[in-house]
Amino acid sequence: MVKISVLQHAPATHLPSRPGDPTPTSRNLDPLMHPFAKARERTRALNAAKMERIFAKPFVAALEGHIDAVETMSRRPESLTVVASGSWDGGVIVHDIAQRTKLLHVEAAHKGKVSGVCFADETRLLSCGTDRNIKLWDTKSEYVDENGAGPSEPRKPLSIFPGKAAFNSIDHHRTDPLFATASSIVQVWDENKSAAISNLTFPTSTETISAVRFNLSESSVLASIGSDRTFTLYDIRTGKAERRVIMQFRSNALSWSPTFPTSVLLASEDHNLYTFDVRSLNEPTHIYKGHVAAVTSCDWSPTGLEFVSGGWDRTVRVWKEGVGTQPEVYHTKRMQRVTSTLFTADARFVLSGSDDGNLRMWKAKASEKLGILDSRERAAMEYRDSLKERWKFDPQVGRISRTRHVPKPVHKASQLKRTMLDARRVKEERRRKHTRAGESKPKAERKKVVVAEQT
Amino acid sequence: MARSQQPSKPFKSGTRSSSSSQKSFNASGYAKRKSLKSKTLSSGSLGDVYEYQTDKVRRGKLKLKLEKDEIAGAGRPMDEDDGSEDEGGAASSLRPRLLGENDDDDEIGEDEDEEIDSDEAFEESDEERYAGFSFAGSKKSGSKKKIQQRKKPVKSAHLEEVDLNEDSDDAQLQLAGEDDGSEEEEEEEEGDPDEFIDVLDMLDGRGEPQSEDDIKKVDKRGHHEVRAQVDDEDESASSEEDDDEEEDDDADEPIEPDYTPSDLEDEDPSALANLETFITNLDAGRKRKAPEDEPFTTQGQQDRATRKRRLLKEQTQVGVENEFAAQPGSMKLNIDDLLAPLAPSTTLQSLKKSVKVLTSTSNKTKTLSAPLPQRTQEKLDREAAYEQTKGEIDKWSATMRRIKEAEHLSFPLQAESAGKVSNLELAAKFKPTTPLESNISTLLKSAQMREQDLAHTESLKMNHLSVQEVAERRAELGRMRELMFRAEVKAKRVARIKSKAFRRLRKKARGKEKGKLGDGEEEDEGEEGEEAVLKREVERARERATLRHKNTGKWARGMKGRGEVDGDQRREINEMLERGERLRRRVQGRGSDDDSGSDEESGSGEAEDTIRAGAFDELRRLEEGGGGEEVQGKKGKSVFEMKFMKDAMAREQRRADQMVDDFVRELGGGVEGDGEDEEEHEHETDGRSHSHDVLSQRTGGRASFRPGNMTGYLRTVTSLASDTSSVTLKSTDLLPDGTSPSPITTSPLVVPRAVYSPELNTNPNPWLAPLDKSTAAKKKHEVAVGKESGGAEKSKNKLRKRVKKREEEREKEREDAVVDVEMSSVLTLGGGGSAGKSPTKEKKTESHLVVNDDDDEGEDSEVEAQEAALQEKGKGRRKDGQVRAFQQRELVARAFAGDNVVRDFANEKRREMEADAPKEVDTTLAGWGSWGGSGTTKAPPKPYLIKKLAGIDPKSRADYNKRHVVISEKKDKKAAKYQVKDLPYPYTSKAQFERSMDTPLGTEWNTRVGFQRGTLPKVVKKMGTVITPLEKMS
Repeated sequence: MVKISVLQHAPATHLPSRPGDPTPTSRNLDPLMHPFAKARERTRALNAAKMERIFAKPFVAALEGHIDAVETMSRRPESLTVVASGSWDGGVIVHDIAQRTKLLHVEAAHKGKVSGVCFADETRLLSCGTDRNIKLWDTKSEYVDENGAGPSEPRKPLSIFPGKAAFNSIDHHRTDPLFATASSIVQVWDENKSAAISNLTFPTSTETISAVRFNLSESSVLASIGSDRTFTLYDIRTGKAERRVIMQFRSNALSWSPTFPTSVLLASEDHNLYTFDVRSLNEPTHIYKGHVAAVTSCDWSPTGLEFVSGGWDRTVRVWKEGVGTQPEVYHTKRMQRVTSTLFTADARFVLSGSDDGNLRMWKAKASEKLGILDSRERAAMEYRDSLKERWKFDPQVGRISRTRHVPKPVHKASQLKRTMLDARRVKEERRRKHTRAGESKPKAERKKVVVAEQT
Repeated sequence: MARSQQPSKPFKSGTRSSSSSQKSFNASGYAKRKSLKSKTLSSGSLGDVYEYQTDKVRRGKLKLKLEKDEIAGAGRPMDEDDGSEDEGGAASSLRPRLLGENDDDDEIGEDEDEEIDSDEAFEESDEERYAGFSFAGSKKSGSKKKIQQRKKPVKSAHLEEVDLNEDSDDAQLQLAGEDDGSEEEEEEEEGDPDEFIDVLDMLDGRGEPQSEDDIKKVDKRGHHEVRAQVDDEDESASSEEDDDEEEDDDADEPIEPDYTPSDLEDEDPSALANLETFITNLDAGRKRKAPEDEPFTTQGQQDRATRKRRLLKEQTQVGVENEFAAQPGSMKLNIDDLLAPLAPSTTLQSLKKSVKVLTSTSNKTKTLSAPLPQRTQEKLDREAAYEQTKGEIDKWSATMRRIKEAEHLSFPLQAESAGKVSNLELAAKFKPTTPLESNISTLLKSAQMREQDLAHTESLKMNHLSVQEVAERRAELGRMRELMFRAEVKAKRVARIKSKAFRRLRKKARGKEKGKLGDGEEEDEGEEGEEAVLKREVERARERATLRHKNTGKWARGMKGRGEVDGDQRREINEMLERGERLRRRVQGRGSDDDSGSDEESGSGEAEDTIRAGAFDELRRLEEGGGGEEVQGKKGKSVFEMKFMKDAMAREQRRADQMVDDFVRELGGGVEGDGEDEEEHEHETDGRSHSHDVLSQRTGGRASFRPGNMTGYLRTVTSLASDTSSVTLKSTDLLPDGTSPSPITTSPLVVPRAVYSPELNTNPNPWLAPLDKSTAAKKKHEVAVGKESGGAEKSKNKLRKRVKKREEEREKEREDAVVDVEMSSVLTLGGGGSAGKSPTKEKKTESHLVVNDDDDEGEDSEVEAQEAALQEKGKGRRKDGQVRAFQQRELVARAFAGDNVVRDFANEKRREMEADAPKEVDTTLAGWGSWGGSGTTKAPPKPYLIKKLAGIDPKSRADYNKRHVVISEKKDKKAAKYQVKDLPYPYTSKAQFERSMDTPLGTEWNTRVGFQRGTLPKVVKKMGTVITPLEKMS
């Protein structure tokens, strides 16, 4: 007989005994066997930072359908995938972003642009337009064939609420069948009544309200921004416009934080974003600087710890709450001015609608791996993240994880902006130097934002 | 506000007219006002009219002031002129031109502030914004508002609003209710309760001046006075008392069920009369004055009343002309009149009820002031609404703070945890469904064995037990368990002893038989013996390798160090020692073959005896130990005196004793006759009693072996070893207990060794001494002397390491040793006689002892030997005087001659410092830029040619003034990679940052859990879950 010697190995030594268990790893616990901890960890952190940049491929998909700029977007409550968008061409589309299909496509929902869409409940969609109408749609996808083409006759709205002026924005109450619209005044409507049930306006205002949003947690509170550089706070319980803040520049969009109910985010024309605490409106709590053109849209992440903003500078930026600089920058060659942005309900993706008529889907975290992760991989990723976090003060690591390559126009614009701001600062300093001491004190940046707070 | 100055002015005019009778009153009034004023001033200056909503305290103060002044004015008997003037002033004070009038008055003293305040408020609020609006109206409305709000606590109004805000459903309803969204409606709903009241007040106030009060005022001056004040729109709350009364009314009326407005009217006179008397009682000054000026006052009052009536008309005309102003000065109209047409309807009662609240306020007969200008009103409303909203939204602040401060957040935050179902929960939910289950449940139920039944009975039992009792119970149980365990252990031990002894005896017997059988095969045994020896040798080596044969191993030392050992450990120690002994015996057996062999053979019978004796001995010890334990137990708690405990213990004891007895009988019976055996046994134990004393003490004490436990025999030994008492100490130290031979036998042989040791110690060369020792230690144990000295030193060392407690004993020992030098010879002789054993055996055991010592020695490290050598050295120095010590030092000095370490180091450091120091280098090139030749003076170097090299100032060096170190100031480029220039943001101190960077994160340096914890991300999002915004948890 031929004797065969076999190399034996016991699977128990390197395989988990039960499916859920961690994979057994053999390692020497002796610290002397693992010298140079700091050096090794730094190297790992550096590698992690590099890997993050290598794998930062945020773009997921582009959803087509509109033939003009996507003016507004809204996600369905309690849904991860359904998003409605309204366009300047008067069309309204309800997308399924997971399948990248259209659940509903109304070609001419409004004459002129659709200025606002929002879901009334699971199935019904409200849209408003510059044609002074609010329309309620049923989004149940009935007769859509495989090409996404609907029936020959256009879909009819469930009901139409006529208004007196062109509407600029619409938002639905979180729980009640109420919605608010913004035209020259803020109006609160009941879904079952054809006329507005109350008009909310600040008495001296002659503005055009550009956006109105209900607070999510304190759902009777709503806020609006207007063309006369104002931010106004309303409460439908007291039925009053309660306070108005006039700022240096007008705001283009606003969003209430879902986890910090007092916090409201404003996307300003002055390239910055501001968060305000509605309890003290005399100055913003944070200033977010990064865009190099007007910020046109913003939306909080459902976690309330991040938000996304889209700007006239053709970039989408993802910010961390409380961190006023160095946002994540997303851009594509074909993406034009970003007119609307949206976070998905699971806080993992970001949607941007731009002037080119496309909806784009991005990862909220650029280097995130999509798909199923096994526990070891997740552990490795977490380890890398914490290493990066720990070593972010290291010049090399910091530089790598900070650096973003932006399109040349954006880069140039930022350079120019910096130059201008520096010049302004220098001028201010000189002026101060040559005035009598104590005559003009430097004003904090945050104090400059609000011009007046009106009661 | 404007009214507030009104009463003060007559006051002053009064003082000017200076009627002497009034002076005292004036003084008192002044004091009063003064105190009041200080109060108001301290509360802060009066602000804008439009700020009143937010500032309530101030308003209250103002009101107070107003009242005080007014009551003073009312109570004061005044001149007709003054009064009229006053009234005129009051009437005109509502117009802005009063400003100038006031200024003209030079007597304005302490009330100036107020006037200015009110005027300023007047100016800034009204003139600039509401110029078109009637001042009187606005003014009055302002003051009116103040009064109203003071009366009807502002809180209530706010409360209403809060209710509105809190209940969102209500709010929705409300919202649904207001279909038009018109702002007037909103305002009304917003609900200044004042306004409701005001309308109704107006209703009443219309007809008031001509009402029955006019008739009454003629006969009752005081009453009229009060009434008049009540009539006055500003003075409605004229005095504090009055005010209180009114408030009482307010409070009372809603409670009383059938207190209709008409009733109120009827009761008015009497109530007012009461009030009036009350006031007059209170205000002594006024009472005093009252009779004197009565004629004046009545007339004055009449005048005032008429004027007032006129004034009221004026005021109402200010407002918008409406149906309320349609019938001036007619009969007083009240709610009942209005409700009269509704009489037939059934809802009248309920309507009346709801109206009651309104009538109660209307009773106070106030007129309504004109509303605030719309914009102002709205502004105030907005401010109030904003405050409300702020308050509402501020309820989230705690939640937000928690989220902000959380280390880890797992989204969705408010998700309900799926939670596993516990057994208890399942059991609680269980409902029998199948027939089997139901059967079982019924059975359980009938037997009262269900969970709740059991719990019930248990609780019943436990009901009247205090905490202490329960604790006692538990302790008792624990003790029982302990006892049982002990008994068990004892039984086991007895069994073991039994079996061991039995086995040994059996072995012996077999050996004997074998010996008998194999007598003829002596020659074979020679070869066989060789083989056996080899085998034994191997075995010994093997056992040596295990280190289990002696007590120098770590384990043994640990055991010793522990001080007290329990049964198992003791047993193990014994076992270990036995094994060592056995081994040694084997080796010995080879060394002195014939001796031991004969000994063995001759003493085979005796060996059996010893075995048996050993067994008995052990048993006895066991008994004693058990007794001790028992005693201990008795001492401990009284539980052991309980009957059941005693019984149990007795039972156990009996069982164990029986076992022992059986064993004894068996053993005794096996070898000899019973009676003889017993005698023998007795004798043996007697003979052994001394040694046993020692031994038992040791085992009983459970301490390691120490000199304190030695008996007289041992002490003699120490005394013999007068110089190095430690030798004997050592020997006693390492004395094995149990079956090993008694220490008595050691004495004769120890002596010479002890005598030798000092001789050895007098080694002249200190460098050689340790060498000698070590070699000696390494030598075989036959060279007893050389080893012995080492042993002595070692023992000394060991002893030094002992605790202090023992040191005292040792000192005692030494004293004894010193004293007993002469006794040594005597005792040596006696020792030979006293040891009741054969000398050969003693010798043998002694040799064992030596071996034992030596083994320890050999195993001990060289370090100790060196230490010992040093010790020795010191000793030698002491003994031989200074010369040797000097030599020693000299030797050392010679050895290190020319080794100027300190100086070298200093030089090196200086060089280093110089190299690092800042330098100036003259870069002048010789011959360039200067004249040469003879007679030229050397020019100083040009400053621009002197290059300054920045370095480190020696004084700023880290090692400055530190003589023994050189700390390099050079930058470490490789380390720089791991350093930061500035302290990063969130950290507040360097140490904090360093700490955070200190511990690595990876798996190599952390446990699995530590790694997971260290790398846990701050925000965890569950993939594919909708994260909903925060919701109010109802």
